[in-house]
Amino acid sequence: MKITLLPRSAGRHVNGWTMTSVIGAAVVLLPILYVLACLFRPPNDNWSKVKQFLLTDYVLGSAKLVFFTGFFAAFIGVALAWLIAGYTFPLRNFFKWALVLPLAVPPYIAAYTYSSMTGYTGIIQATLRNRFDVALPPGTIEVMSDRGAIFILTLFLFPYIFMMTRVFLERQSASFIENARLLGHKPISVFFRVVLPLSRPAVMAGVMLVVFEVLSDYGVANYFGVQTVSTAIFQTWFGMYDVDSAMKMAAWLMIGVIGLFMIERWLRRSKRYASTTSRSHPLRPQRLKGLAAWGAAAFCTVIFLLAFAIPIAQLAAWSIQYGGKIWRSDFADLIANTIKGAGIGTAIILLIAIVSSRAARMFDSPFMQALSRMMSAGYSVPGAIVAIGVLAIFIELDGRLAPLYRAMGKDDGALVLSLSLAMLLTGYVIRFMATGYGALEAGYEKMPRVYSEASRTLGRSSLFTFLRVELPLIKGSLLSGFVLTFVEIIKELPLTLLLRPFNYDTLSTRAYQYATDERVFDAALPSLLLVMIGLVSVLILLRPERR
Amino acid sequence: MFSKRNSILLVAFLMVATLLAGCGANNSKPGNSGEASPSPTQTQTQTETPANTASPEPSQTGGEVNIYTARHYDVDQELYDRFTKQTGITVNVVEGKAPELIERIKREGSSTPADLFITVDGGILNSAKAEDVLQPIVSGVVDEQVPAELRDKESQWIGLSTRARVIVYAKDRVDPAQLSTYEDLAEDKWKGKVLVRSATNLYNQSMLASFIAIMGEKEAEAWAAGIAANLAREPEGGDRDQAKAIVAGVGDVGIMNTYYVGQLAASQDAEEVKVAEQIGVFFPNQQTTGTHINISGAGLIKHSKNKDNAVKLLEFLTGAEAQSKISQANFEFPVNGQAELPELLKSWGEFKIQNVDFAKYGELNPKAVEIANKVGWK
Repeated sequence: MKITLLPRSAGRHVNGWTMTSVIGAAVVLLPILYVLACLFRPPNDNWSKVKQFLLTDYVLGSAKLVFFTGFFAAFIGVALAWLIAGYTFPLRNFFKWALVLPLAVPPYIAAYTYSSMTGYTGIIQATLRNRFDVALPPGTIEVMSDRGAIFILTLFLFPYIFMMTRVFLERQSASFIENARLLGHKPISVFFRVVLPLSRPAVMAGVMLVVFEVLSDYGVANYFGVQTVSTAIFQTWFGMYDVDSAMKMAAWLMIGVIGLFMIERWLRRSKRYASTTSRSHPLRPQRLKGLAAWGAAAFCTVIFLLAFAIPIAQLAAWSIQYGGKIWRSDFADLIANTIKGAGIGTAIILLIAIVSSRAARMFDSPFMQALSRMMSAGYSVPGAIVAIGVLAIFIELDGRLAPLYRAMGKDDGALVLSLSLAMLLTGYVIRFMATGYGALEAGYEKMPRVYSEASRTLGRSSLFTFLRVELPLIKGSLLSGFVLTFVEIIKELPLTLLLRPFNYDTLSTRAYQYATDERVFDAALPSLLLVMIGLVSVLILLRPERR
Repeated sequence: MFSKRNSILLVAFLMVATLLAGCGANNSKPGNSGEASPSPTQTQTQTETPANTASPEPSQTGGEVNIYTARHYDVDQELYDRFTKQTGITVNVVEGKAPELIERIKREGSSTPADLFITVDGGILNSAKAEDVLQPIVSGVVDEQVPAELRDKESQWIGLSTRARVIVYAKDRVDPAQLSTYEDLAEDKWKGKVLVRSATNLYNQSMLASFIAIMGEKEAEAWAAGIAANLAREPEGGDRDQAKAIVAGVGDVGIMNTYYVGQLAASQDAEEVKVAEQIGVFFPNQQTTGTHINISGAGLIKHSKNKDNAVKLLEFLTGAEAQSKISQANFEFPVNGQAELPELLKSWGEFKIQNVDFAKYGELNPKAVEIANKVGWK
C-alpha cells in the first residue's frame, strides 16, 4: 500500500514544497560543505603541533563537559517535565512557563554574572566581609572551573529538555500513562517503565540541543578557562593565526556530531513512537498532597531561583546602579535590530524546517536522514566557523553576480549581498536550523504517517493536508520551535559580530562590547534588556497553553 | 482549537519570508499570502523597517569612512561622532574580534568596503600588515603627532594609545623593594604567590613574544615554565580578577595592564575601588630591559575607497584633544606627547619601556602559544 503510494505522492510533490526544500537545503548546506571541505586540504605544520599539544586534552575536556552537562540537564529537565505534566502542586502553573525562562539568559552572561557575584568584590563576599566581618578563605566559592562551567551550562540549557519533554508528555502520552496508572503501577515504576521510554524522542531532541550548545560554546569555556575543542579552535585561529587548521578542527567536530546523531537514530531504528488512537487527549495530572506537593514546589523553586531569579535580580541591580552611565540614545535601535533579526531569522528557519521535515518524512531514506542531519550540523560548531563559511559563499556569490550589479549601475567589484542583512540572516539560519528542525521533527515523529497519506489519497492538496491535518497536530512543536529559535537568535553573538552590516548593533553585541573589556556592570543593562525580550516572547507564545 | 492562531502565524512567516526574498536574500519561498492578519512577527518587521540603516550609503555631503574595529570603548564612538560633527564625514563602524575582521577583509579582497582597521595589540596590527591588507599612511600631521617608534616602519599602521603590562602587589604583604623584574617572578621565592590570567589571552602571548625577542626562545621558555610553576592557582578570569585575587589573599603578586588598575580605581563599585587602593603598581625591569608595553592602533586598508577621509580621521584621532580624551576615559597612555594625562597616570611618572619592535609580537606569537602549551601555562 505504502509502496505504491510513495512514487505517486513523490511525483505530485515536485512543487513548491520540494523546491523550497532544495533551495533551503542549498543555502544551509553550502557553507557547511565549505567548512567540511577543509578536511581534504593537506595538513600544515601547525596541525601536527595542535595534535601533539592540544587535541587529547581538549577532546577530553569537551567530552567531560558534554557528558556531565548532558546528564544533569537531562535529569533536571525530565524530572521537572514529569512533575509538571503528571502532577498538580502549589505554583505548578507558574513553573510551567517560568522554568523555560533560563533559556532567555545567554550562558556567557550568566557566567560573568555568577563569577562577579561570587568573586571577592561580589555581593556575597563583600556583604559577609563588611557586615559580618567574615572573610571567606579564597577558593571557598569557586565557579571559575570545570565544575562551574558544568553548573552554568546545565542551569541555563536544561529548559530545552524540559520544554520538549513536557509538551510531549502533556499532549501525546496520556493514554499510556493513564493505563499504566490504572494497571496499578507505582509512580516510580510509571516514570521508568512508561514515561522515560515513551518520551525518548523528545528527550533526545532536547539533549541533542544541549550537546550542540555545549560543544559550540566558547564564551563560558573561555572565561572559566576550561579546555574544550571550541577553545582549541580559537586558540589555533587567534593564537597561531591559522584559520585553516582551525576550520579543519571544526570540520572534525562537525563530523563527530553528525556521527553521534546517526548513532542515536540507529539505536532507536526499530521503535515506533507514533500513536494512532483517533483522539489523543491531554494528560490529566494527579494531585500531589502534603509533603510531596511541597517537595515538588521546593525543587522547582530552587531551580528557578538559581537559573533565573538570582542572576536576573543581580543584573537588574547593576542596571539600576550603572545603567545611567552607559545609556545612549541608540538603545532603541539596538532593541529594534535585535527583534528584527531574530524575527526574520526564525520565520525562515521554521519555514525551511517544516518543509524539510515533511520531505524527510515523505521520502524516508538514509540519504534524506543524512541530509537533514547535515542541515542541523551548523548548531554544533562555533558560530565564528559557520560565519567563515557564510562569508566565503557570499563573497563568491557577489563575485558571480558582478555583471548584474554593473547593470544596476554599481561600481566594479561592489559587494551587495555580503554587505546586507541577508548574510547575517543566512548565518542565523545555518546555525539555528537545529532548534527549529529538532522541534518539528519530534512533532512529526509522533504523528502517524497514515494521517497525511489518507488526506492525500482523498485528493487533498499538499498544502491543504499540511494546514488542516498536520498543523493542528504539530502546533505545540511549532510553538516550541519558534520560541527556542527566536530566543536563541536574540542571544547569538559570534555570527552577529562577524557577519553584520555596518552600524548594525544588537543588544548582544553591546553586552559583549562591555563584557569583553571586563566591564561586567556596564554589560548588565543590555543583557537585561536582552533577557526581557526573550522573556516577553516566551510569555506571548506560551499564553495559548494556559487556559 | 488553536490551529487558527497557528495558521495565522504561519501565513505571517510566509509573508515575512517573501518580503525578505524581495530584499535580495537568496531565499525564495512559495509565497502564500492569503489573508493578512496581525501577528507578533509581522508587526515587528513593519515597525522596525525604518531602523534599518545597514548599508553605508553616504548620507552627508562630507562623504564617509568605513571602519572595522576591535576596540570596544565608548570613548571611540564619542570621538567618531565628534569627527562627524566637525567634518561632515559619516563614520560607519563594524565592531568585531580582530582576527575575524582580518579574515573578513582578506576574503573581501579588492571589494572590501573597509577603509580603516583598528585594533589592540601590535602583533595583530603586524599580522594585518603581513596578510597584505594594509597600505602606507601618508600624512605629515600624523607623522608629527605620532612618534616613529609607535608607528609601523612603513607607516602601514600607527599607534593610537599604549598600555604597560606591570607587576601589581599586595601593599600589606609585599615590600616593593622585593620586586625587580618579570624574570624575578619566575624564581622559587614566589612559588604559589603569582597571579596571572590564562596564556590563551593575547596580552600574555604578546608579553611572552617580547621576551622571546629579548632573551631568546630557550630563556623565554624557562621563564614561562617558572611562572607556570609559581602560580597561586590555575589561571582564571581577566586582568581585574588577578587584582581582586591579590586583595583576597590568593596570591601576593600579579601581572596586569595599567589601564585596568585605573578602571578599578575609577569604578562606581565601592568594593572595586577598595581593591585598587590595596594594590601597588610596580613598573618592572627599569634597570634592565624595560617594562613591556602594548599598543592599540589603526591601519589603512590597501583597497580603501575613502583614503582621504580615513587619513583625516587618523589625524583627528591622534590630535592632542582626542588623545587626551582617550587617556582620560580609558587610562591608556596617549601616543601624542601634547595630550593631557589623567592624574593617576601622572602619579606613576615616567618609566623605561621595552625596546622591541611591535612587529615581533605578531611574528613570535605562534612560538609563544607553542611555549605556553608546552610548559602547561593554561
